Amino acid sequence: MPEDHDWEAYKVPPTRTPVSERTTSVPNPVDYFQTAFNYVFDAPVTFIRDWIERWQNKNKFYYYHQKFRRVPDLSQCLEGDYLCYYEAEAQWRRDRMVDQEIVEIVRERVAACKQREGPNQFQNCAKEVALLAQVTKAYQDRYGDLGYHGNARTCLMKQKHRMMEERKAAQENQ
Amino acid sequence: MAAMSRVLRAAAAWAARRAGSAGITGTTGITGIAPRLPGTLVPVRHSGDHGKRMFIIKATSFYDSRFLSLLRFYFFLTGIPVAVLLTYINIFVGEAELAEIPEGYVPEHWEYYKHPITRWIARYVLDPPEKNYEKDMALLDVEVRKSELRLLELEARRLMRHRGDGPWYHYETPDKNLVDNSMKATPDN
Repeated sequence: MPEDHDWEAYKVPPTRTPVSERTTSVPNPVDYFQTAFNYVFDAPVTFIRDWIERWQNKNKFYYYHQKFRRVPDLSQCLEGDYLCYYEAEAQWRRDRMVDQEIVEIVRERVAACKQREGPNQFQNCAKEVALLAQVTKAYQDRYGDLGYHGNARTCLMKQKHRMMEERKAAQENQ
Repeated sequence: MAAMSRVLRAAAAWAARRAGSAGITGTTGITGIAPRLPGTLVPVRHSGDHGKRMFIIKATSFYDSRFLSLLRFYFFLTGIPVAVLLTYINIFVGEAELAEIPEGYVPEHWEYYKHPITRWIARYVLDPPEKNYEKDMALLDVEVRKSELRLLELEARRLMRHRGDGPWYHYETPDKNLVDNSMKATPDN
């Protein structure tokens, strides 16, 4: 079965399902449906899955997540060093993909929180919503309006313009 | 009276002969809408099997059924082996499991994929991504050197043209001994 994600990374709050107390002597029909489902679907499927897993555990093999070395950034490359440009560009693209996945994960957390809380979402999900706002603002600041043909160079230029605006604003505030 | 009885007797004999003949061989009874005597046998009617054999006139389905049959044949000719192979691989070989990279171990480039078929393709068919990277860098290197040399050549040409002290931009001029200065010899011309 596909493995679960790391539960320590994002602790889901404990469920608050109320404990029901029996007030009648009539047996719960849901128990019968549960046992029927177990016998008809759950047990055969689990049996077959266990058989397949036993067969596959005889020769196990693994896959890894590739770790890339950090190379000098585009701002550390000498002018005209096109090889350095190429490596910095590749690293920038990998970083952009990682940032997109980060935003995606935070969005999923917010959606899960909303689904979990239901009508209480506006109060209980405030932290996740604030985190999503912060992360999307950061993503928009860095990669925002570069367009389809955005590359490391245009991103660096955008950062340069941002810093110039900040410096101008700081000087005006003085 | 006698003639009437004779006609009646002939008719009765004729009817009896007809009924008798139909009784012996059941297929020569009168069919269709002609009036027949009661008791006449007619061929197979209201039987328990598939009923009277009819020649149903409809458009031919020969070409359609031949097409569908050929379609099924060629589809399953490679479809069934592929399905069997995929079932075998997915059940008995199985997908890889995610693990941390052990200390001091550099995984091969195909060990970064999960499905066994993807791993096989990455291992035996495709080039490793490091090789592709290095090829791109080599191409860039060649182009960088070419562009540097071209820029140097343009600069050298510009300087030699400007200064005139280089091996380029030498133009053949006539010998100064051939120049006739006689029309400039006197000042009043």
